[in-house]
Amino acid sequence: MKYFWLGSLLSLLVSACSAPPVKQASSPVTIRWSRDPGTLDPLALSNPSALDAANLLHVALLSIDYQANAYAPALAQALPQIRSLGDSLTALDYELRSAASWDDGQPVLATDVDFTLKLLNCPGLPNEANRAQYGFIQEVRLDPANPRRFTLICRGRGEDITIASGDFPVLPESVLDPAHTLRYLSLAKLQAWPATQAPAPAVAALVQRYQQANLAREPSHLPGCGPYRLAAWETNHQLRFQRKTKWWADKLRPAPQVLQARPQELVFTVLPDDAAAALALRRHEVDVYPQVPARIFQQLQASTKAQAEFAFYSQPSYDILTAGFNTRRPALRDKRTRQALSYLFDPAGLSAATQLGQGRRTVGLLPPGSPFYNDSLPLPTLAPDRAVALLRQAGWQRRADGHWWQPGATSPLALNVRYRTEEATFATTALQFQTAAARVGIAVTLLPAESSALTNLLQTGDFDVYIRLIKGSPFSFNFATFLHSSTIGSGNITGFSTPLTDRLLLAIPTEGDARRKRLLLRRLQAVLRDEMPLLPLFYLPTRLVVNRRLQHVIPSGLKPGYALTALSWPAAANSN
Amino acid sequence: MPPRLFLLRTRPAARLALGWLLLLVIVGALAPWLPLPYAPTTPDLLQVAASPATSSGHYLGTDSLGRDVLAGLVAGARRLVLLTLPAVALAILLGTLAGAAAGFWGNRRLRLPLAAIGWALAATWWGLRLPGVAFLCGLLGISAALTLLTWRAARHPTGHRRYTCALPLDGMVLGIITLLGSVPRLILLVALAAGPPLATPQLLALLALLAWPEAARLVRGQMHWVRAQPFMEAAQASGLPLSRIWWRHALPHACRPLLAFGPLSLAGLVGLESALAFLGIGQGPDVVSWGSQLASVRHDTTAWWVAVFPGLALFLTLLALQKLAKLASSAVHK
Amino acid sequence: MWRWLFGRLARAAGFAWLITSLVFIVSRQLPGGPDQLAVADLSESGRLGAAAQAAGSQQVVRLAVRRRLGLELPVFYVTRAGGQWQWHGTANQYHHWAVAVLHGDLGRSYRDGQPVGTLLREALRFTLPLAASAAGLAAGLALGLGLYLARRPGSVGARLLGGLLNGLQVTPLFLLALGLLLLLANPEFLNLLPAAGQAPAASSGGHLVVYWLGRAALPLLSLVLTVLPELTLPLVANLRHEATTGYATTARAKGLPVGQMLRRHALPNALLPLLTTLTDLLPALVAGTVVVEVLFALPGSGRLLAEAAAAHDYPLVVAGVLLTALARLLGLLLADMLNFLIDPRLRPSA
Repeated sequence: MKYFWLGSLLSLLVSACSAPPVKQASSPVTIRWSRDPGTLDPLALSNPSALDAANLLHVALLSIDYQANAYAPALAQALPQIRSLGDSLTALDYELRSAASWDDGQPVLATDVDFTLKLLNCPGLPNEANRAQYGFIQEVRLDPANPRRFTLICRGRGEDITIASGDFPVLPESVLDPAHTLRYLSLAKLQAWPATQAPAPAVAALVQRYQQANLAREPSHLPGCGPYRLAAWETNHQLRFQRKTKWWADKLRPAPQVLQARPQELVFTVLPDDAAAALALRRHEVDVYPQVPARIFQQLQASTKAQAEFAFYSQPSYDILTAGFNTRRPALRDKRTRQALSYLFDPAGLSAATQLGQGRRTVGLLPPGSPFYNDSLPLPTLAPDRAVALLRQAGWQRRADGHWWQPGATSPLALNVRYRTEEATFATTALQFQTAAARVGIAVTLLPAESSALTNLLQTGDFDVYIRLIKGSPFSFNFATFLHSSTIGSGNITGFSTPLTDRLLLAIPTEGDARRKRLLLRRLQAVLRDEMPLLPLFYLPTRLVVNRRLQHVIPSGLKPGYALTALSWPAAANSN
Repeated sequence: MPPRLFLLRTRPAARLALGWLLLLVIVGALAPWLPLPYAPTTPDLLQVAASPATSSGHYLGTDSLGRDVLAGLVAGARRLVLLTLPAVALAILLGTLAGAAAGFWGNRRLRLPLAAIGWALAATWWGLRLPGVAFLCGLLGISAALTLLTWRAARHPTGHRRYTCALPLDGMVLGIITLLGSVPRLILLVALAAGPPLATPQLLALLALLAWPEAARLVRGQMHWVRAQPFMEAAQASGLPLSRIWWRHALPHACRPLLAFGPLSLAGLVGLESALAFLGIGQGPDVVSWGSQLASVRHDTTAWWVAVFPGLALFLTLLALQKLAKLASSAVHK
Repeated sequence: MWRWLFGRLARAAGFAWLITSLVFIVSRQLPGGPDQLAVADLSESGRLGAAAQAAGSQQVVRLAVRRRLGLELPVFYVTRAGGQWQWHGTANQYHHWAVAVLHGDLGRSYRDGQPVGTLLREALRFTLPLAASAAGLAAGLALGLGLYLARRPGSVGARLLGGLLNGLQVTPLFLLALGLLLLLANPEFLNLLPAAGQAPAASSGGHLVVYWLGRAALPLLSLVLTVLPELTLPLVANLRHEATTGYATTARAKGLPVGQMLRRHALPNALLPLLTTLTDLLPALVAGTVVVEVLFALPGSGRLLAEAAAAHDYPLVVAGVLLTALARLLGLLLADMLNFLIDPRLRPSA
């Protein structure tokens, strides 16, 4: 017995010290996740890990082509045909790929899409977020002549509707509703089902079947048409996904970028701590480390050994570090005061301090490379002198005690700043603003809050200045979600709105002509810069470190930061 | 007092310890007026996480937010003197009193007049504005009657235990300790974070509240032992009142484990501060403490100087306090 | 004795119930419930159209979440609204929860609908052995070190060791664990122990045991080193004090060696604070240690409960509180009983 333990210990030490095993083409690709997906219920995907996993198990009509950073047809044969129906409705004509089939060989049909949309709107299921998100799809019209053709009738107009209409995973009807009971209930009826009324018998039976399937933990009870199946799941530790030996998209020629699934096995290791994740990468326990923090990226790059073993990628994401002002506060109602405060932020210095200088500065809510970018506006800079001048213009007077007072006011200009606690970037930004403000005589209190509490505080308007990320995307210019007057109290945190911006915000997504669109967007950037409800500081970079031997690495500014299923190890013949 | 002074004079280690603590107090008191090159909360954006060797002007380097470590140490000393040490003292005081009382009187020995309970119940009823004025009036009446009865019974030589009931002191203290120990700290903090930011006195109270149970448990355990000692029986036999025995004879003996524990609990509290800073509750990054400095090394694990200097300062403080505690215990027992 | 034990146990159970009920009620008054989190997730995802962002539609989402989770009921039998007390009868959240718990059903997690009991049991499979062995090891080490340090107060070794223990005491757990991780599992320094790697695929039982032993080594070491000073230093102080008392001098005068005198006579008297601190560690056996679990990527109960608290997953949090409270009360009971066993004069009060 004694020798067994000794031997085991020795073998352990030897195995720990020995060189990392050579990866075969069929070896698993191991990826770091910062958290467990928690639930793989396709209706209740609430975090990035769960979305990643769902993309392996299921296929949507459209999905992101990370090479082009654009949406491409996945389950759909092509991007939908768009037709306008009157003022406020859009019809999208889709056709599914003829090769698309479920695991049992049955084809994926328009009835499956219809069923999925009804499931997304069915009362009694954990799909509340989906109901808000896909509520704009009013009706699914099936083509009686072709079971793969259908038309989605959507409320609203504009490009983001097209993308959103194909963004949900398509689920098989035959598993959850073999008797087709849901076909007799229209989508509109399900959407408008009163909360007080008991659910229809068909719905109640479906809800019960759904709950019994326990899809949160057992996604295999609802096999999707994606390339992988979940092979093992140890909560908070590891998930293994195995490639299906026969997957319908293998037969497609040429193989579309979005339907490639090269790794035979994908392993996600849950490592919440970044230092531990970096260590696991260096020990070759993890091959892909997405969303690397700046400092750790820098440390890894500084090591020659790591340089030889890993490939480093860094590029701008679509997340903008933004400071916002509560325009409902009397002190911040004047745009000149807000402009003055904007000169107390130092975007260049903050980018250097927090993002290794890789933050991309911007004048507005568009990236500098965009054709719609307003290059006639100057970049925001730190300029305390101009801040002082603007404060004077806004009617503030500096008294002997060094503070700024409005005539007749009972208290001087003093602000609080709210931001999320765990991010060092926010803390540095807040400290920098506090220091610059103190130098010109404005007292600033920092009030970091935990993330769920913060959302509540911001939505109820309990702040003067906030610092947070605004998540943009390359697909659409729908800024109405956080600037339009109709979203004050939820998405529009600053409480800012003018008739002009409201008009611009609604016109931009529906404008088809590129030249006019450019004018509208440039105008919007100029107006926002002048009114200064919020100040975009810079675009955060997204950083990726992968094992150097991995092939087909496609980094992207979009989450998760790379094309997951494109990765592969070199074939044995090529490896040295 | 001569023996103590003598000890101080003959032991250089004790003098060193006292010197360090004095230095801390002086630095803490004078922190805002010390001529330091940087303010503790001003980030140096060009030198983030700069090591002491490579940075210019930052003698002990900067942390991952660009704050000067030396200025942070000084600000942390001020905070230690103004907040942490008082919180430790408060926690130990609270813990000692609660633990000693619980251990001494247990659940049976402390008897309260029934009337007091009646009055307390009535006050609660009134304070919560519960409905039922008639009930409240009845309660008041019963309380008044009980007060009268107790007063009359007290005039009889044997009647002072009538109309009283035992106060389960031990159970109450243990209950509060268990409550504080079983609520996940995160829940507590989320609840606190939702409110307005904590001012220093509130933070002091919070830290003391989180730290007193340990002292209370130690003293309670020791008190059980003290109560079983022969000198306690002697004291009781001599007819001294219980409260006097508790205060004059039992308490000093029950406090003995605290001499070793007190300095440790300071370190524990700084650790708690570091946990609070790590969770970002209560105080923003513009309030620097040794604990928050220790926590900030998490953002950049190669910046050893961020943790080593406050860690060293804390270590020296702990050693100095232990030295003094040892001195005090030998002075008490000689 | 048995009657006393039974009484204490019953009281402990009552207390645990009271505490859990309190947490149940208070937690449901906190801002940022699961419905608000759902809305926050929705806003954060940034994929929404303006229609879904409008305040009205967020209200609808919140209502639907509350209804599905049964949160639209009043929290307790009576609530106070607008200066008036209202009686709700048994149609309240507390009543439903209490009835279910008495039937052995702790409820289901809000996040993934799994039974809370199963989730906790799975997490405890990792936490219990780890924390228990850490506590056992630390206690054993503390005894040995305490006796050694008390025997040779002035020696170089004792001073060094004392300094080391004090150094450990000022090191926060996360710093210690991080340091060990970077020192002992780093390809650039000593690559001795696995940190968070995968279990060997398709492995036999023996290999798996070795793998888990290797993985447990670093967390175990961190935990032992953190609690060691807290256990050892008071013990040393007590032993030294006992060594100065009359009975110790008598024992020494009879010719007993210092070591034996300390072990036989001083130790039982000096052990009380150690036992108290040790039984304090009992709740950590079930509540887990978040820091170590996060750093070493262990799927234990500390992470489970911390994540549940952050996500306002009340059923899980309340079950965690119930378990922790029970463990703490049992710890207190155990401390009293051990005190009694060591020194029969300390018959605990009923």
